[in-house]
Amino acid sequence: MADSTGPLDRLFGAVDRVRGALTVSPRTVRNLKSEYRTSALSKVGVALILVVVFMAVFAPFIAPQNPTTQNLDNGRLPPLGFTQTEQQTQTQMVNGSIQTVNTTETVNATLAHPLGTNSLGQDMLARVIYGARTSLLVGLLGTSLAALLGVSVGLTAGYYRGRVDDTLMRFADVSLAFPSLVLAIALIGVWGRASVSVPDPFVVAGVVDPVRSALGLPTPMPDTFVLPGTVIVVVGLVNWVWFARVARGEALSIREEEFVKAARALGADDARVVLRHVLPNATTPILVLATIQVASIILLESSLSFLGFSGTTLSWGFDIAQGRAYLASAWWIATVPGLAIVLTVVGINLVGDWLRDALDPGIEGEGGM
Amino acid sequence: MAYGRFLLKRGLQGVLVVWGVVTVVFGLRFITPGNPVNAVAPLDASPELRQRIAEELGLNRPVYVQYADYIWELLHGDMGYSYISSIDASTIVLSKLPATLELAVASTVVAIVLSIPLGVVSATRRHEPADYAATSFSLVGISTPNFWLGIMLVLLLSVELNLFPTSGRAFGFYRSFELLFAEGVGAFWAAITGWLWHIALPAVTLGTYFTALVTRLTRSGMLDELGKQYVRATRAKGLPETLVRYRHALKNTLIPVVTVLGLQMGTLIGGAVITEAVFSWPGLGTTLINAINARDWPIIQGTLIVIGVGFVLVNVLVDALYAYLDPQVVE
Amino acid sequence: MSNEDTTRRRFLSAAGSAAAAAALAGCSGNGGDDATTEGDADTTASTGTDTATGTEAAETTELPEPETREGYLQRANLVAHEQAPWIFLNRQYSVYGKSNAIEWEARRDERIDAYDIAPAGDGGEDVLITQGQLDSGLDPHDHRETTTDNVVLQAYEGVLARDAEGSVIPMLATEYERVEDGVVEFVVRDDVTFHNGDPLTPEDVAFSINRIVQSDVGGLESPQSDQLSGVTGAEVADSEARTVRVESENLNPIVFALFASYCDIMQQSWVEEHENAYINQHMNGTGPFVLSNYEQGVSVEFERNEEYWQEPAAISTLTFEGASEASTRVNTLLSGESDIIVNVPPQDVSRVDSNESTSVAAVPSTRIIYNGLRTDVEPFDSVEFRRAMNYAVNLDSIVENVLQTFGAPTGQPTLEGFTGYNSDVDPYPHDPDRAEQLVEESGYGGAELTLHTPVGRYLKDVEIARAVASQIDELPNVSASVEQREFASLTDELLTGSIEDKPHWFLIGWGNATFDASQTLIPLMTSEGVLTTFQSERFDSLVENAQGLPGDN
Repeated sequence: MADSTGPLDRLFGAVDRVRGALTVSPRTVRNLKSEYRTSALSKVGVALILVVVFMAVFAPFIAPQNPTTQNLDNGRLPPLGFTQTEQQTQTQMVNGSIQTVNTTETVNATLAHPLGTNSLGQDMLARVIYGARTSLLVGLLGTSLAALLGVSVGLTAGYYRGRVDDTLMRFADVSLAFPSLVLAIALIGVWGRASVSVPDPFVVAGVVDPVRSALGLPTPMPDTFVLPGTVIVVVGLVNWVWFARVARGEALSIREEEFVKAARALGADDARVVLRHVLPNATTPILVLATIQVASIILLESSLSFLGFSGTTLSWGFDIAQGRAYLASAWWIATVPGLAIVLTVVGINLVGDWLRDALDPGIEGEGGM
Repeated sequence: MAYGRFLLKRGLQGVLVVWGVVTVVFGLRFITPGNPVNAVAPLDASPELRQRIAEELGLNRPVYVQYADYIWELLHGDMGYSYISSIDASTIVLSKLPATLELAVASTVVAIVLSIPLGVVSATRRHEPADYAATSFSLVGISTPNFWLGIMLVLLLSVELNLFPTSGRAFGFYRSFELLFAEGVGAFWAAITGWLWHIALPAVTLGTYFTALVTRLTRSGMLDELGKQYVRATRAKGLPETLVRYRHALKNTLIPVVTVLGLQMGTLIGGAVITEAVFSWPGLGTTLINAINARDWPIIQGTLIVIGVGFVLVNVLVDALYAYLDPQVVE
Repeated sequence: MSNEDTTRRRFLSAAGSAAAAAALAGCSGNGGDDATTEGDADTTASTGTDTATGTEAAETTELPEPETREGYLQRANLVAHEQAPWIFLNRQYSVYGKSNAIEWEARRDERIDAYDIAPAGDGGEDVLITQGQLDSGLDPHDHRETTTDNVVLQAYEGVLARDAEGSVIPMLATEYERVEDGVVEFVVRDDVTFHNGDPLTPEDVAFSINRIVQSDVGGLESPQSDQLSGVTGAEVADSEARTVRVESENLNPIVFALFASYCDIMQQSWVEEHENAYINQHMNGTGPFVLSNYEQGVSVEFERNEEYWQEPAAISTLTFEGASEASTRVNTLLSGESDIIVNVPPQDVSRVDSNESTSVAAVPSTRIIYNGLRTDVEPFDSVEFRRAMNYAVNLDSIVENVLQTFGAPTGQPTLEGFTGYNSDVDPYPHDPDRAEQLVEESGYGGAELTLHTPVGRYLKDVEIARAVASQIDELPNVSASVEQREFASLTDELLTGSIEDKPHWFLIGWGNATFDASQTLIPLMTSEGVLTTFQSERFDSLVENAQGLPGDN
């Protein structure tokens, strides 16, 4: 308990506290396991998430080609299993006047592009695989930011109660009064859309090209990855409030527990009590909430990209917006990335359900956008 | 008496939150680095317009004076004039409110009409095909981005089958009634059916998420209730099963459902913004997006305030309803 | 969708009134096809393929100095081609979709005149026009965009107008003449009434002119003052004879051309009695259509003006609606809701044309899409590198595949048909080997470039940008990528920042409805131009010389 012997000890103490906060009890693990065994859906959810995470992490190895490489002559190829018959009047401008030519053209799917290509001839599968990176990174980083903010505010409010609590919670109410999408649009509108180029570690390390060459895949893959910076900050800022509510509720009840009272009676300072005793006991509901929030933030990100408020062109929402113009001529451009979103979010929601059933943290779900 | 006090307290809290909302909107103009004029002026604003904006907002004065001025003008319903059209912002924003309201109400109706029966069926026929269908639907429903759903509906029902229009609102709900008095039943009927035809897809698009959500809530709530002691007791007394289910179990299920719906009003409005964008529905959402793209600050500000205040109002109403249904809340 | 006119407002004002005036000189001639004049030699190193290693001097050493304004402008275009401060891209086309229930011809100046619409057969009495966006308020003197023009010009008219061929014709004036240098007179019709029933007076005409050119008249600082550039004011010369006297600060040889395109007549008492917010939601003009209902941002509805001073319009009601999404507009046309839609995207053209009840009407527009290059920074400070970029781009493929032939490749800043267009200059051919070689010569091999592009502002802007970047990226010694930008923040950097703040490489479009090269060259390429990224004394002096000479027409 003595933690004022020296800087090193203090450091270890801090590490220990954090570890304590994140430790999951054996009982919890048991619950998770038994629920997982009995529920087929949770298996489906875990499988879906594993697939998406795998795609995101190993994108440069598994994408059939560079997602930004264009091939204008191969634009709008249908996905495997479909053929596109263009029995249409081709209209051309010749010297300022319209001429029509009747042509019937059948476009066949090719194995090289299993999910077809978009209007620029970019491979849809490669874009779906790389889009998973954007979605997951924004989802995870945005949720972390929201959790960090929300949990700090919520624990403070719940632990101190009274005026602090009132003030912070009114602030949360105000935050809630703006739908997250509306607030996000407004903030991005004022701040603009900044993006950060992150080097792709695999490509930079030079391990991608040999592997791809060995597999017979086209080689130059993008060596950087564009992260929509403003979007991450904004989704974190607009979603913190859910975490604050849950953390506050937990803090309110835990602070009345005997062992917390005992710790305080022993003279432990507030920060220590909160981090050592209150936070660990709030971990479970926060974890469940975070799972659901990842889904929610992925949907929010796709909405922002769809509306053109993102900073990257490699995103499912962006591709849907692009495909919208081709609904009549190439339905798959908007359809495929949408299915990717749905499957990912279904997976996360299934895992969320599993966690909730197993851990029973007593919070309502806020699954969607 | 207790209920009255509760309402008063909740109302005051609402006013406090509204104050917070307008303060946040006021604060938005200061969160960009550099001159606040840059945050609120259109990017292509001429030096004269910048000057005028700076004067109108009194940007050279102390912040608390600006703030007091701003609150004072808002209290008079003055949100300034659109930089783009010179029309007063309150007129523009309020004229868009009906379109958003009718979309929100229509989708709520869709959600309630579909979700409660689905949830009940799902709960009472647990582990039957109907239950699996309903749970799968609700799982996919809460996982589908509604803009994509809207686009898919357009693809299937408008582009391929040509059953519904892809955009627009026809005359709208309210103007249809104006036509009733101005031009008689025939014109009214044409207008109102035209409106229904136009609102069908947007309402389904926006309503699906809520249908799914409420189906889930109703199902789990019903299962909870049906397993409770009092239900078994009433069954044992020989009450018909339908009466047990609907009179008792469903009624108790609906109370938390109402709360969650109230909490989700924000999601509904957020969803409305993007649904409007998909269907060119001329409401607050399209207005906000257009205003942001044009950097028309008075309109951005007006839209945000109306949305925020509307949300607070709905929540106060939901709380009041909740307290009425379940007097324990009042304490 | 593709309307940057709000920003043009500032370009024009910043370009200076002298420039604007000169630019407008070409207005009346919407032809100008006689592109070559004396002084422009045939030895132009036009495509550059045979000028070998990027010698910049081809133009100056080999050609005699031009003699006419047009000659100077053509020479400036040649210099622009050779110095390549841009990657030259395409001319944009205006593509409309129209219902076969009506008869209507597209105009080249992007305006839609509903008075010209006639029902074909039984239906077509009620016409709905769907634009990308609606008006920015109904005050005819308080906007600069084509979209707003299209709406307000159904109800408001000017003293002069243009016929389909672009010639100046009288409208609310019966006669117009120049009385002395800088002074012209109009005789105002006496059989015209405003929509509120009041007769049109010469005072109204003088007031309307002053409301535009003078900042203290009519409660408005009009953004259109440079549309009447040179004009200083108007007064009633003789009430009995209904003459209005208009004064200009100099000779102003193009004053009638200005009035044929601009200056809508409003009623003085009506303007003075109402606030700006009212004037922006109501209309009281003299035109063939009367406003019947206005919902800002939703719809503008008109009824035929039965009291019109000419033959009443052929259609009975007219409605404007806005739909920013192109596919949405196409669907409203195909479902029979809409009668005219603007900006049909290329991939939907055959759908519209093959549908039996709709057809496509397309005309080349006055807008050029290009890539600006910052010639003050590496690697674009090298003319070899800039030319390499032009060789690397396969314009024909972009026009063919991205624009599906709805566009024309360009090789100079001025569009074909404009005064000053140099017909000896061809677009750069696609020659990646030469591009690679030029990059090596420039010493900037291995350069990494980022193209900033707006999203959804111009027809296929992102697709064009991505195609350009990927074609340049295919050069073994250059890598290129695209950064999508919010249009507003991109123009902010292009316009308000000093040159140091501008992106090094950006895609932008420029509309110039004056049919004169100067209005493109001055703002976009001269050292003082608002949107310039190019500094060349030679180029500046060519343009300056051109602007010191009287126009050819």
